Amino acid sequence: MGLFEKSETFETILAGFFRLMGDTPRIADKLLASKLIIRFIYKDPDVILVVDCSGSKIDVRPGDTDTKAEVEMSMSADIAHKFWFGKVNLMAALTRKQMVAKGPIPKILKLLPAIKPSYAMYPKYLDENGYSVYNVH
Amino acid sequence: MLPEFFEFYNPTKVVYGIGIARDFRAELDVLGIEKYFIISDQVINDLGLVEKVKKGLIDAGIRITGIFLDVPPNSEIKTVSSCAEQAKASGAEGLIAIGGGSVIDTAKATNILICKGGDLIEDHSGVHLLTEPLMPLVVIPTTAGTGSEVTTVSVIYDEENKVKIPFTDKFLLPDIAVLDPEMTSSMPPKITASTGMDALTHAIEAFVGVQWSPFSDIFAIGATELIFKNIIKATENGDDLEARGAMLVASNMAGTAFSHSMVGCVHAMAHAVGGLYHVPHGVANAILLPHGMEYNFEEIKEKLMRLAPAVNEDISGCSADDAARKIIAAIRKLTGRLNEMGALSLRLRDAGVPEDGLPEAADAAVADGSSWFNPREVVAEEILTHMKNAY
Repeated sequence: MGLFEKSETFETILAGFFRLMGDTPRIADKLLASKLIIRFIYKDPDVILVVDCSGSKIDVRPGDTDTKAEVEMSMSADIAHKFWFGKVNLMAALTRKQMVAKGPIPKILKLLPAIKPSYAMYPKYLDENGYSVYNVH
Repeated sequence: MLPEFFEFYNPTKVVYGIGIARDFRAELDVLGIEKYFIISDQVINDLGLVEKVKKGLIDAGIRITGIFLDVPPNSEIKTVSSCAEQAKASGAEGLIAIGGGSVIDTAKATNILICKGGDLIEDHSGVHLLTEPLMPLVVIPTTAGTGSEVTTVSVIYDEENKVKIPFTDKFLLPDIAVLDPEMTSSMPPKITASTGMDALTHAIEAFVGVQWSPFSDIFAIGATELIFKNIIKATENGDDLEARGAMLVASNMAGTAFSHSMVGCVHAMAHAVGGLYHVPHGVANAILLPHGMEYNFEEIKEKLMRLAPAVNEDISGCSADDAARKIIAAIRKLTGRLNEMGALSLRLRDAGVPEDGLPEAADAAVADGSSWFNPREVVAEEILTHMKNAY
């Protein structure tokens, strides 16, 4: 059993955090410039999120299995949670298959510097939105 | 102090010998198959290198099911599809790649399509998606720079979307790398110099990068030493098989280093000027290597000291600053010597980069995936200063 017991909780937290990034211009501008559509497939608990950067604003769509995504990232909810604290060594996670990345990975790598500020935002976001209990990694 | 995590996985059997590409039956015996499909290009074939290998294989009782020679300098998706179709139809049980990076990458991607089928981009682009070994792949490099014979990566150009698509997987690692200096002796001086400097850049960027490990360090230092001792000789006299061999081994070792520890801002800048202004990859790396090291100076100066013996510099009594400057100066001296020989450009302006194109190139370098592994954050305004210095 991972940190998150219910899919709904994890979905709400992650979707909210992606939306927060979408409302943060220094991050959102770079994500939108990538035009990427990314599908995140989380396990334990199971959640699917599409983060669509192809339009004029970032669209976060929980449960979207229909949209054709350029990149698919699969991982456990715990690894995703740890990632947003900036505590996951991406290369280690990929080589050890804690994360499976399908699609043009250089495009994802290009986004990493852009999302770096979000690592500091995540614990603050958890605290400010009533998820302090999950502010652990 | 050790890194928090590292992995070292190097299953490719490497065999070296002058003339060994004419007979490596002992190595093939271990793979236990008899039907091979050869992948190469027209230039390599015209030089007689394919025939040389083929004759040895036939003498050894190996059946060649077909030969594909249509690999372009930057392999494309349609090349891989065509190659896979022919290789599969031929009934091959294994692949033999004879060539440079493009040929080797084509063979790796072809192997995916033959064994797994489907659409190369849709189904297979990504990282570590394969779940089982592919068919045996034997690689005989004819250049000494990419190190692709020991890397997990294949890069193929998607002509429809005009982007390079990487495929990264441990199952792409070749089974056998046959390093034969005779197979590289026809490389002209300019290619020898630029591919050799590409290998040096792999070694140094892997050595100072954030994904370093004690294992990749050893390979990086070894490659650096071999390159410093041999690149001038190999460029000066292509028939110096000792120097050619050392460069092949260096390229292989540097490939092992960067396959595990990645590259940094020098490659990011090189990818940028390569993509925008078609500067050959090795030339771009050669020009930008000392400038990238200066960009990273504060972060890497202590570690650079360990390269002093490899670049034949005496740093006894030097501060870290002075020692690191000596290492960078040694690299400049090396490229300067290659420049005097007419084998290498030293400036971006001489490689066809327009001065007003530098800001765009700096932005592209920041956005390049290699920047993520650089020892310090790659910032556009600052990297632009160093690119201007390289101009």
